[in-house]
Amino acid sequence: MKFKDYYEILGVVRTATQDDIKKAYRKLAHQYHPDVSKDPAGEEKFKEIGEAYATLKDAEKRAAYDELGRHPSGEEFRPPPNWGGQQGTQGYSFDDVDLSDLFASFSKGRQGGQHQGRSMPIPGQDYELATQISLEDAFNGTTVELSFTVPEYDAQGQLKRVPHTFKARIPQGVTDGQKMLLRGKGGKGANGGSDGNLYLNISFIPHRLFRAVDHDLFIDLPLTVSEAALGATVKVPTLEGAVNLKVPEGITSGQKLRIGKRGLPSKNQEHGDLYAVVQIVVPAKPSDKERELFKQLAEASTFNPRAHFEQE
Amino acid sequence: MNIDFTELVWLDHRQEVSLGELAELSGLAQEELRQLVDSGALTPVNADEKQWSFSGQYVMSTRTLCRLKQDFELEPNAFALTLVFLERIRTLELKLQALDSQQPA
Repeated sequence: MKFKDYYEILGVVRTATQDDIKKAYRKLAHQYHPDVSKDPAGEEKFKEIGEAYATLKDAEKRAAYDELGRHPSGEEFRPPPNWGGQQGTQGYSFDDVDLSDLFASFSKGRQGGQHQGRSMPIPGQDYELATQISLEDAFNGTTVELSFTVPEYDAQGQLKRVPHTFKARIPQGVTDGQKMLLRGKGGKGANGGSDGNLYLNISFIPHRLFRAVDHDLFIDLPLTVSEAALGATVKVPTLEGAVNLKVPEGITSGQKLRIGKRGLPSKNQEHGDLYAVVQIVVPAKPSDKERELFKQLAEASTFNPRAHFEQE
Repeated sequence: MNIDFTELVWLDHRQEVSLGELAELSGLAQEELRQLVDSGALTPVNADEKQWSFSGQYVMSTRTLCRLKQDFELEPNAFALTLVFLERIRTLELKLQALDSQQPA
């Protein structure tokens, strides 16, 4: 097991008062709390800060932590025999657990966990996992395999990190950012306590053509100047194959054309829509012929797209 | 390895949860949830208090609220206000995502 210097994590000295520890935690929590901070590294950092505070704010846990002695951060170490007043820690391997697991088990023992012979039910821990699926999988429904490890006691009463792996069926109708619940798939409860839950945050892998908003899809529709001016029928891809879309004449960039029921399916057998967002594009390097024709058009046309400038 | 199969529960407007379920899932006490309803921060789907049910979308925001309450020791008044802001942020983020998606890439 690797040592973590909780005092160093909170930026306080080992003789810090409870008030100093609380102030240091508050300051860091404002900076790194995942519900407040947008720093991608913030979540991991806050986990460490929270773990350190949970131990040092509690006089009994802090005394047990101090009993572990001083080690450089990251150094492999073992708790002393019968550490923290817990009987039978001699012979534990401590290889598969980290310091936070150890203090979690310390709390459970104090609350009446299995090692204390009492029977207060302790609910299992909740977990949150993120998974990414493709837009096609969201359209058709899919199955994802989820894997994570949770600290559990084995048959010998030794604390170990145990892999949890299971499959979850993601039905049609899921949207980008969808939150879902898997009941009882979190950490194991103790003494008859219910198992924790698993919360799944589903996001879509960015698609090369489509962007999803709820059950609607958006696709950029590049049009030539002549298609936009004169109207046209163009082929537009959808998740169920291409469809012919009639573009009305005189359409401008940014306008949206709705293709009904070609979005993502929703739970009640309905579909969102597909919107084609018009983009008028011109050749970056026109050929001689194109250049000549554009010149002729410019000379013949009386169209002034900036007429409203002159009215001011 | 034996891999079991699990069905998922939607956490949005398509799934309603009772007061008891919301308390269990969020980690907040039923009394705290009642106070959030009284202050207008939390709106039940039906008005009959004996049969209150809530949109599943509140599960994640009340879980966040519970975390913030524990981690920052929120005062009762700040408590309701925080949920209002969390919901507002969620709505604005969805609108922003929708606007971004309508712009040409």
